[in-house]
Amino acid sequence: MEATHLLVRAGEYVCALPLGAVRQVLRSLTLHPLPGSAPELKGLAEFAGDPLPVLDLARLARAPQGANPVFPVTVVAWAGPPEARELVGLAADAALDVVVLPAAALVAAAPGSGGDGGLVAGEAIVGGQVVRVIDLQALGQVS
Amino acid sequence: MSGGFLVLRRGGATWAVAHQEVRGLARRGAAIEVTVAAGALAAVEVLGVAAELRLHPAGGVLRRFWPEAARGLAVHGTLPLVLIDGQAPPRSLLAEPASPAPSIPGEGNR
Repeated sequence: MEATHLLVRAGEYVCALPLGAVRQVLRSLTLHPLPGSAPELKGLAEFAGDPLPVLDLARLARAPQGANPVFPVTVVAWAGPPEARELVGLAADAALDVVVLPAAALVAAAPGSGGDGGLVAGEAIVGGQVVRVIDLQALGQVS
Repeated sequence: MSGGFLVLRRGGATWAVAHQEVRGLARRGAAIEVTVAAGALAAVEVLGVAAELRLHPAGGVLRRFWPEAARGLAVHGTLPLVLIDGQAPPRSLLAEPASPAPSIPGEGNR
């Protein structure tokens, strides 16, 4: 089985988001930080008239921050388990490409490298570089 | 959800309190204190009153990364906001308790 993914740059990592979960890719939304939040939560934004929590994808994937982490792109995507999915924004450095990843190309993430709460489902090689495949369903679950 | 909401700014974020949860409103220097069941909240600005808010539940993602209680999320104009629970408001919103009058060393021994 293969799945189509959106590749985005997050810090020094390239991450793959399941395309079916992606609703929109936007220029960075205006963020309103929430005092007392974990560093992964950049803040709240307004998206299509609704409130949207925006997360730092590089921090979620435990990627080293890039040289210029200004998050010019927000990926709006469905997160959480199917019965309780919710829209979130993922602040990233760039949207790169859409690729098809055969299931056989995916190698399970090494223990301890799964990012926050096992968010990195595995790794694949795309165009000669390592891509971290993100499990958005795991995002809404308490670690 | 209707019934009226007070919309506040503090800490770079926007908050709302349902009218029925507001027990008092007073200016304290540059801040505005809004009293709710849990105590006094300090706002830097009251943005206004919203007659209605289209509330969204605070989902699992928010609860995972923001350890505070909230009745929900909404947008006021273009500002995303948190509707607070007057019984358990975010700690960062609580007003600092008034500092006691400075004591003079030895004064209590006389």
